[in-house]
Amino acid sequence: MTGNPEIWLAIAGMALVTYLCRAGGFWAMGFVRMTPRVEGWLAAMPSALVAAILARTLASAGAVEIAGVAAAFLVARFLGGDFTGMIAGIGAVAVLRAVSA
Amino acid sequence: MHDQPRAPATAFTWRGIEAGVAAAVPLAANSAVGGVIFGALAAQAGLDLAVSAAMSALVYAGGAQVASLQIWANPIPLLAVWATTFAVNSRYILQSASLRPWLAEGGTARTYGTLFTLSDGGWALALKRWQTETVDGGFLLGIGIAQYAAWIGGTLAGHALGNRIGSPAAYGLDFIFPAFFAAMAASLWKKRSDIGPVAVGAGAALAAHLFVAGHWSLLIGGLAGSLVGVFAHDRKS
Repeated sequence: MTGNPEIWLAIAGMALVTYLCRAGGFWAMGFVRMTPRVEGWLAAMPSALVAAILARTLASAGAVEIAGVAAAFLVARFLGGDFTGMIAGIGAVAVLRAVSA
Repeated sequence: MHDQPRAPATAFTWRGIEAGVAAAVPLAANSAVGGVIFGALAAQAGLDLAVSAAMSALVYAGGAQVASLQIWANPIPLLAVWATTFAVNSRYILQSASLRPWLAEGGTARTYGTLFTLSDGGWALALKRWQTETVDGGFLLGIGIAQYAAWIGGTLAGHALGNRIGSPAAYGLDFIFPAFFAAMAASLWKKRSDIGPVAVGAGAALAAHLFVAGHWSLLIGGLAGSLVGVFAHDRKS
């Protein structure tokens, strides 16, 4: 299958499209003047995109995964830092799945 | 009112790279697990080792690679594969745009090289760190290097294992990524001004997930939610 040039064309195209996404936003913003409005837009990006990522995760998740997200969020917020929260979330999911299996 | 201080001059140091590699341990673990899953799926889809490894090395985007396997056929539907890749990775346009104020002074070659390794987790982690620490592009590159190595290693291991990988879900290993972002959210969503972008971003992503097509939900949610930041500024001034 390695010999099929179509495979390499497919991969080259995927690589190009992906890099244009990764570099394109940065490049394009070089032509935009950094007004306070633009800065406000970019500054809100992390909160908005992380919310979108979590919303999509939860949209196709069961009760166990929802509990895991809640555990990670609450532990990171009120007890330990990011890493502790992550471990709490993963641990909660592993335990709840073992119990409910 | 500037939520985000404009970085004076972006540093790019070895120490930053080392700090990035060290900070990337949980993200690299996630990349390794993802790489194993992709490698096993690729083996099952009939891609040989060289092709699987090359795809991971050149594309380096888990979601897009797995999605492309789902429509892989003979002959390969090239346009569909490329369009799917774009849909899944379009969120990177927003991420890299948001890095402009931080990395504009970082040096062209170094910055565009670093952007090749951009990942969701690395982006979130670097932006969080730069709120309090020196803005060092090396930190983002260090995370990228660690995740890239783990992704390639995982791909090779997963391909070798093929059908024998068992279920990472039993140990909660499929949950590293959601758990990371839930913990990130806990430190990112602190200000009252975050409520609007979070609510609109989550709502738009859910609507897109249900009514448009799942792959576009991150682009639509991120774009809609972040635009609240434009109007938030208008209301204050």
